[in-house]
Amino acid sequence: MPTVAATALRRPVAAALVVVAASIPMILPAITGATSACAAATGPHAALVIDTGAGTHSFCVALDATTVSGIHLIELAGTQDHLAYGFGSGGQAVCRLAGVGPQGDDCFADYPDYWGYWHGDGHGGWTWSSSGAASARIGDGALDAWVWGSGDSGTTHPKPPPAAIHDVCVPAAPTPAASPSSARSMPPAAPSSGARSSASPGRADPSTDATRSPKPSGEAVVKRSPSDGPPTAGALAAAPNPPPASGGPGPGLLVAIVLGTALAGGGWLRSRSSRRGRSAG
Amino acid sequence: MDRRSVHPVAWIVWATSAGFVAFVTTDPVYLLLLWAVSWFVYASHRVDADHARSFRLFLTGALVAVTLRTGLVFFGTVNAANTTFSFLEGLRLGTILVIFGTFNAVTDPFGLVRMAPRHLHEPALAAALALSIAPRTVAGVGRVREAQRMRGIRIHGARALPALAVPVLERGMEEAHTLAESMDARGHGAGRRSRYRPQPWTGAALLIALPAIGAAAAFLAASVGGWAVLHPQTSPIVWPEADPLLLAAIGLLAFPGLVRRTEP
Repeated sequence: MPTVAATALRRPVAAALVVVAASIPMILPAITGATSACAAATGPHAALVIDTGAGTHSFCVALDATTVSGIHLIELAGTQDHLAYGFGSGGQAVCRLAGVGPQGDDCFADYPDYWGYWHGDGHGGWTWSSSGAASARIGDGALDAWVWGSGDSGTTHPKPPPAAIHDVCVPAAPTPAASPSSARSMPPAAPSSGARSSASPGRADPSTDATRSPKPSGEAVVKRSPSDGPPTAGALAAAPNPPPASGGPGPGLLVAIVLGTALAGGGWLRSRSSRRGRSAG
Repeated sequence: MDRRSVHPVAWIVWATSAGFVAFVTTDPVYLLLLWAVSWFVYASHRVDADHARSFRLFLTGALVAVTLRTGLVFFGTVNAANTTFSFLEGLRLGTILVIFGTFNAVTDPFGLVRMAPRHLHEPALAAALALSIAPRTVAGVGRVREAQRMRGIRIHGARALPALAVPVLERGMEEAHTLAESMDARGHGAGRRSRYRPQPWTGAALLIALPAIGAAAAFLAASVGGWAVLHPQTSPIVWPEADPLLLAAIGLLAFPGLVRRTEP
């Protein structure tokens, strides 16, 4: 019985470990140079980029403290920009963002696909977060990104499109408060986990360019990728790949059934013959 | 009782490799094949002794584990994806239990103690005692029930429990005492170790251990290299895949069943 409980706990514990793994707290990677960018906005701001695989959402989030956790940044984006989100593992792990991800408390329910956590370096690049979102400290001018995909490290997990704080929080913006329409949740037809890897060419470039070029007009506080915008979006059209391997059992499965039947039958014969041998002897 | 044909370490290697394979995958194809492999190996090599009966106990435990793990889904969101995921996790646990049951049924735990290096002798002894608790209890229950039947005692339900448990526990204490005394008489615990009739590594032992290592290596490579799906996705549920190379690796684990069994 304890082993049953242990297995049941393993995933939540693993999730918690990922979350708590903050041996080295990664603090404000982009605070220098980025501070001035958001200085025009009233109060501290941080950028939150969410890449569902089918499209990218970017939010300029007003912080309610000098530093907030990565979890709280998502909550702030939820209240300010209506970002749909769901946490698991007692609110320590990120399960669901913009309609993508598992519904329950187990954020690794769709493993190998999960929400990878990235910090911006302030110059357009991204580094894999060494700490969980609950223990990360996000300050003014910092960038956080969540990317849906598979891969257990920063070398294998898909990276968000390059973005700097200026791209998300426009310096000249007179009204830093985000427009409510900015955070549309993605259509529920999220890319299924298997389609993700093959869909990567579709998601790469248009959103990158869109995020990069700062809009001159002041009212656009939150940038959106094409997929997030009107239905003409190119990235969205590229996304729906056929779900993988749902057509039926493959040839390997038949081989496996033959092998299993042979083994079970062989075992049955062996046990019968040994029983007969025992009763005869 | 004393099967001297196969080196016990070969069985340790086999069980460890099979357990490792079960540990790294939740693909039901591989897991169910491991059940078939275990059954085949058990049927080919079981020792007709008390601890061989514990295979059935572990089989029951494995089924209970699968059911319980699947039942845990009711504490969360119940949908097809979560239920499948839980079932596969439970199946993996059950597979490990079945493999362990097979290991228990084909080896004599006390044969393993003799293999342990001298300074590890006492931990190994403790491990062997722990390993043999389950089969001894099963055997003890069987004997007590048999005795009760012969005396025409038929108790059923909850009232049967004390009538069963007391003699079983008493017997267990007695056996442990006898064992301790006999081991003391043979010089155990004095730092000496028996070199009487050392067990040779036979071809059969190599035929059990080496393919098992190969199987574990194949799954390790698949797990690290990622060239085969070891964890089929459950949302949406898709047909599990079966890589031919990994199927062959599981076939390697069935090699012990092909080794001719030498009667003692």
